[in-house]
Amino acid sequence: MEAYIKGRLSFRGGVHPPEKKGITCEIAIQSGPAVKEVAVMLSQHIGAPCRAVVEKGAEVEAGQKVGDCDAFVSAPVHSPIAGKVKEIGLRSHAVLGRVQAVVIAAEAETAPVQAAWELNGDFDASKYSSEQICEAIREAGLVGMGGAGFPTRVKVEPNAQMPKETMIINGCECEPYITCDYRMMLERTSQIIAGVRLAKVASGCSRVFFTIEDNKPAAIEAVSTALRGSDDIEVAVVKTKYPQGGERQLINSVMKKHVPTGGIPPMIGVLVLNVATTAAIADAVVNGRALTHRVVTVSGEAIAKPGNYYVAIGTSVGNLMEFCGGVTQKSAKVLMGGPMMGLAIADLDTPLTKASGAITVLTKEQIGKAKFARQQTPCIRCGRCLEVCPENLNPTKIAHAVKSNLLDLAQSYYLSACTECGCCSYVCPANIELTGYIKTGKIFVARQKKRMPQ
Amino acid sequence: MLRDISVSFSPHISHPLSTRSVMVDVVISLAPAMAAAGYYFRLRALILVATCVIASVATEFICNTIRKKACSLGDFSAVVTGIILALSLPPRLPVWTAVIGSVFAIAIGKMVFGGLGSNIFNPAMVGRTFLAVSFGALMTTWATPATLDAKMPKIAPENMIHARTQATPLAWSKMAINNELGADIYAEQNFKWTVTGEVGGCLGETSVIALVIGAVYLLMRRTVAFHIPLAVVLSAFVFGTIAYWIDSYSYVQPFYHLTSGGLLLCAFFIAADPVTAPLTRRGMWIFGIGVGALTMLIRIVGGYPEGVMFSVLIMNAVTPLIDRLCKRVPAGGKPNV
Repeated sequence: MEAYIKGRLSFRGGVHPPEKKGITCEIAIQSGPAVKEVAVMLSQHIGAPCRAVVEKGAEVEAGQKVGDCDAFVSAPVHSPIAGKVKEIGLRSHAVLGRVQAVVIAAEAETAPVQAAWELNGDFDASKYSSEQICEAIREAGLVGMGGAGFPTRVKVEPNAQMPKETMIINGCECEPYITCDYRMMLERTSQIIAGVRLAKVASGCSRVFFTIEDNKPAAIEAVSTALRGSDDIEVAVVKTKYPQGGERQLINSVMKKHVPTGGIPPMIGVLVLNVATTAAIADAVVNGRALTHRVVTVSGEAIAKPGNYYVAIGTSVGNLMEFCGGVTQKSAKVLMGGPMMGLAIADLDTPLTKASGAITVLTKEQIGKAKFARQQTPCIRCGRCLEVCPENLNPTKIAHAVKSNLLDLAQSYYLSACTECGCCSYVCPANIELTGYIKTGKIFVARQKKRMPQ
Repeated sequence: MLRDISVSFSPHISHPLSTRSVMVDVVISLAPAMAAAGYYFRLRALILVATCVIASVATEFICNTIRKKACSLGDFSAVVTGIILALSLPPRLPVWTAVIGSVFAIAIGKMVFGGLGSNIFNPAMVGRTFLAVSFGALMTTWATPATLDAKMPKIAPENMIHARTQATPLAWSKMAINNELGADIYAEQNFKWTVTGEVGGCLGETSVIALVIGAVYLLMRRTVAFHIPLAVVLSAFVFGTIAYWIDSYSYVQPFYHLTSGGLLLCAFFIAADPVTAPLTRRGMWIFGIGVGALTMLIRIVGGYPEGVMFSVLIMNAVTPLIDRLCKRVPAGGKPNV
């Protein structure tokens, strides 16, 4: 069986944390909470933030654009529900601190329902032109849904300076606990494949790889079955390893090529799209639906009803957690994302964004095992962080340079090349927060260059 | 709903490995060598190992107390230093000398630099060097293994005394040359004994079998990377072979060099000490080759029969330079800034 092929494609370095996907991987996508109000962030993507295009007190419809921006690297935001704009105010954002958001009070509390994906006969992507698809992607406000949130139109649109030849569809989902992409691949296979074909037409790529980690045989089988009889998309089974789903690592695994340090994939003619993004592309192009809902995995040992939920973007984390039965034991940490790269949030009113694929709630015992609660010892120079670094850096040197406030030294060890995957901190026997120091160092460097306010 | 939620940098989970478990692994891997030492040298071995461990731990405790630092004994690194120092001492060394060595190893070799992770030189080798320089006679008085009754060949009448004090195999070879006998005359008879450990020498270095068992454990647990041990052994073998080709009368066979003396103990437990070895793989190869080459240089050309102690210290001293020389280049190449 093709589906049980062991993934040989891999990159150098990386770690293998406990997968913990069993908690939610068998639970089908369900409707998320019916919310009273949503807070649609005006900055849910990398690039210029949007301006609100509605005023306080205005009535909005479901799917109506509420924020937009003229900048090229940006994506508009839409209201997921019909209702009235309550205010335009600040809300907590896991990365950016406080961000302007359009707060919309719902007309009626209705649970979001995932629309069925139905097409008459075979889907033909070629009846759409590249411009048409790109415009639909832009209007629907699509951003990379795997976590980074880079505007999809910018990625997909053909660029004369950097022609794209290969497209890689990222269905790896290497973070522990998260299963939203896995469920999408099982339940929305044809929609995803339609989206892949549309993206192929739009970007002009000649080769497409659909990558899935070898710990998801059901998804590999579902995708392979759906692709039977066509040869435009190749399924590439990759080794289960963290951070296999990282863009740079995935390109390295599949194509044995490195994206230049500080560069972006189109420099070597590659486009990487997350599976959830491709599903949204199909929805945007075929049905003209804006990106207002997404599937979020709520998991972790401390949550009562873990599962994969179809949620309105802008729902607060607290709302979603309450809907999942609240926390069971003494939960101690709420993460936006998985445990490796996810951001711990302090404010449960933080709204979900287009890029938040998971909420992980960890218990005290689990955190107790993690770095900060354990005794830290000096670096014993064991070199494990060098072994696992997928970017072939020297994490301990960078971290200790930052610790001693030697930013020049840190930069000479290529501080900025770090992707912050967290492998070094994960594996460090001395319990040093290597990734934390590196992140801090990057902020210091940005401040030095006056790119960031004090 | 939630009161105390904590916030920290990602990642929020971590591998169960800790500094202590790494050190405990090293102790476990040294257990066969300690057992072999106990078997061949009986109570002397036990007393020396216990002395060195207790003295090392006590010294670290006192240093921490004086410097008003948090107690660092929990990382077990002082225990490892104590054991390695003990295993590199001759069996008949008086206890007070071992105490001096341990105190020097920890206080001067490690704590003055700032404790674990900051020391430049391998503490155990610092302690041993101090003893070798200060108490030369005591450090070269060897004991006959308890299981052996003067099996050792008597090369020359003036060396008769060594039948009781039992020189190390390498010292025998050097003496054989001085007595105008072929170096191999002894090696051929003695090869088997160097493997089992039934020869004179430092406590832990005699039994190749015990060392290899420990080394296999270390490598299987991935506690040490294989690069340094392999580089040490390979380079020692290559240089030994070259010397043997050039003059097989004066120099012993290369295999004999590997099995006798402290070479294996050094390769797996002393040179491979991560704190004092380079970080990058390329650096590890250079370091290991350097240790092996210097050891053979001292053994073959130098006046000492044994050379691992000095070669490790010399290579420790150049480790920061090697690290600087062997900088890693990011996977995506150097950024064009």
